[in-house]
Amino acid sequence: METIVNTLISGLISGSLYAAMALGLTIIYGVSRVFNFGHGVVALIGAYLTWMALQSFGVPFLPATLFALAAMFLLGVGIYRLAIKPLLQKPNWEFSTVLFMLGAGILLENVLLQLFGPRVKSIPTFLTGRLIIGFVEINGHELALIAIVIIFIILLSLFFKYTRLGQAMRAVAQSIPGARVVGIDIDRIFSYTFGLAFLVTGFSGILLGTKYYLNPHIGWEWMVKGFVITTFGGLGSTTGAIYAAIILGVVEALATLYLGAIWVWPIWFGMFMIILLLRPQGLLGGRL
Amino acid sequence: MNALKFNWRTLVVILGIIFLLIYPLLGASSYMRHLFVLFFIWAIVAANWNLLMGYAGINSLGNIGFLAIGGYVSGILAKTFGLSPWLTIPIGGLTTCLLVTVFLGLPALRLSGIYIALLTLIFADSLPSILTQTREITGGAMGLHEIPPFFPGMTKTGAYYVSLTFFLVILYIVYRVIHSSSGLAFVALRDSENFAYCLGVNKFRERLKVFAIASFLTGIAGGVYVHALGDISPTTLGIEPFLLTIAMIELGGVGTFAGPILGAAVIVFGNEFLRLADTLRLTLLGALICLTILFFPGGLMQLVDQVERWVIRLLTKRRDLSKKE
Amino acid sequence: MLEVRNLDSFYGELQVLRQVSLHVDAGEVVALFGPNGHGKSTLLKAISGLHPPTAGSVKFQGEEIAKLPAHKIVERGLVYIPEERHLFPDMTVMENLLLGAYPPRARKRVKSNLEFVFHIFPKLEMRQKQLCSTLSGGEARMVAIARGLMSETGLLLVDEPSIGLSPGMRKAVFEAIAAINRERGITILIVEQEIENALALSNRFYLLKKGQIAFERPTDQVDIAEIEKAYF
Repeated sequence: METIVNTLISGLISGSLYAAMALGLTIIYGVSRVFNFGHGVVALIGAYLTWMALQSFGVPFLPATLFALAAMFLLGVGIYRLAIKPLLQKPNWEFSTVLFMLGAGILLENVLLQLFGPRVKSIPTFLTGRLIIGFVEINGHELALIAIVIIFIILLSLFFKYTRLGQAMRAVAQSIPGARVVGIDIDRIFSYTFGLAFLVTGFSGILLGTKYYLNPHIGWEWMVKGFVITTFGGLGSTTGAIYAAIILGVVEALATLYLGAIWVWPIWFGMFMIILLLRPQGLLGGRL
Repeated sequence: MNALKFNWRTLVVILGIIFLLIYPLLGASSYMRHLFVLFFIWAIVAANWNLLMGYAGINSLGNIGFLAIGGYVSGILAKTFGLSPWLTIPIGGLTTCLLVTVFLGLPALRLSGIYIALLTLIFADSLPSILTQTREITGGAMGLHEIPPFFPGMTKTGAYYVSLTFFLVILYIVYRVIHSSSGLAFVALRDSENFAYCLGVNKFRERLKVFAIASFLTGIAGGVYVHALGDISPTTLGIEPFLLTIAMIELGGVGTFAGPILGAAVIVFGNEFLRLADTLRLTLLGALICLTILFFPGGLMQLVDQVERWVIRLLTKRRDLSKKE
Repeated sequence: MLEVRNLDSFYGELQVLRQVSLHVDAGEVVALFGPNGHGKSTLLKAISGLHPPTAGSVKFQGEEIAKLPAHKIVERGLVYIPEERHLFPDMTVMENLLLGAYPPRARKRVKSNLEFVFHIFPKLEMRQKQLCSTLSGGEARMVAIARGLMSETGLLLVDEPSIGLSPGMRKAVFEAIAAINRERGITILIVEQEIENALALSNRFYLLKKGQIAFERPTDQVDIAEIEKAYF
């Protein structure tokens, strides 16, 4: 009983981090139908920028995060303007953007390697100590992570529901011709979407960097997990991605407990295959 | 003018083949012979990948996995069970074909676009973890070493000629596939699914066929790889060979027969020069892929076509002038 | 209000519109007839910037708009209501209507426009919390028209509003369009296959055949036989 509860909790923790990580992927795909194959490195850049601000410039955590997020937004807008936009105007955009982002991913990964070196880094945790309720033990920092992810997801959904920009993004996600008819500038919305998604992804990288370690190559592993989650939840469905992340996080924790860590990836792969074969539209389907 | 166009291309191919046949006799260093073997193998991989990506419009990202399956199967059978590579290479190809058709080809029938990219990438990505779990047979993270060569006591020159034979035969098959009715069906499917449907093209059958052909031939390339080079390990499945092959196809010219071969030559030999750049090498490779896709989407073959048109125009003008005189 | 001159439009190699000229004066309802596939929708899309014309001029309220992107044209109050409706399926009726008020000018008049929309389509007021993917064809058509009205429009281009609707629904839609013109003074250019109904609410009509304007008449001098002949 004790172990099961604690395993479930650790599954929930990694699941919520995965959810945060998969959101950026879902947002870009949902609005623009571009699949970001450089996603993992984008998350890493957010984490490294924060690390740099913390360690090299010695700024406190909050301004360091804000600096990283602003930089991520600009990076997203920049990549859209310089590369994705021209590619979208050509016929084979669906796959050319995939290959471009793969190339950009390896480029940025190696830039990180040049700048920060191969040594493992980590972002300091926000809280220390443990919360103990009966036999349930939760690390204070991990509790804070779950709270942050929940608040973050609520803020995002408020943004999509109530702000003009968020509504316009959903409109574009649901019907591009409809969005054009009501006078939405698609190009501008795509541009902000890339900015927002890079910001969200960078933020998830920061959170992941506080729980796990950072090195320039870990991004691919995060990205592939993100791919499974977004497919599982239904490409472009944010709610689906959140559920999928939690499910896969818990399954991962249980598999580690009962079968051993070596089985984690085959199980991810198996679940991916099953969902693709049975329900290619994913768990929920639906749109942003 | 078409005759001229046809003639010079045929001429280049014939000269190229003659050169490849006599090259080792010209006193090529053992290192250069090794590079050529690499070129033969990667050209096969790139050409078959392009068959999926450039002709059939199937966005596969898992072809290095095909190579690895063929290589491991053939390597294990030859090394552990002592079978002759001439038997194990086709077995490797068939196994690859079977696995890929079941795990990728059949699901891909129902999927489109980005889903195929995800499925194939994750398929290839899950192979290393399978390898580490089957250490007793596959050697785990260390990989397989001292895999028997094509024949006992094989020299570098022997490896060169055997790989060259596979290279020529397989590329000829790819060429024939492209110019067969299936090849035309692929192009029709790629350009307009509805139109292809009107022509009576069976999308499912053609897709399965192209998966089967490309995976079989890439699996064979895997066999050539292990018996020519002697070892294989999960690093083959890493990000670098993957991106190198993508770069070959994109740089050479996706959707053309000669493009990926040209691209393989440039990348295999160019990569050796890039070793000078050491840690910057992958940065440059990433930049190369990005820049090609953005500014040079037709690749080197586009450049060849342009130069050809330019030369022909120049020649035609001269001939017209001489007629007038 | 709208002045179209010598408009050409292509889909790839195919020329759909040839030297089309027409004009719509403020306060008018003008109908556009013609056989299917002869360029009626293309003309509306060319005017509204959704499928920009290759050559020719489009003047709206005296200003050239042929080169403007679609969203700039909507901002000026020229609104297209597509035959395919193009609603946002996973949003409620209300969210769709509010997105209609996306242009800055329209945002200031959300309240009064919403009142007007619910006045001519009372059914939508009851359905406002329903998701658009669950609406019937007629209701979805109403939402499409209502969403266009929310954009603070001066000129409405309506593309086949009655297509696929039951006779009762058709009547309601035509009445609503008449009311839009009568009560709000909104100028309307309507493409319709229901010739008689469309004639009843319009001042003039054009006939577009093979991408060219075949003729133009005021509706009080109409000869239905002449129109029908043009269809064959």
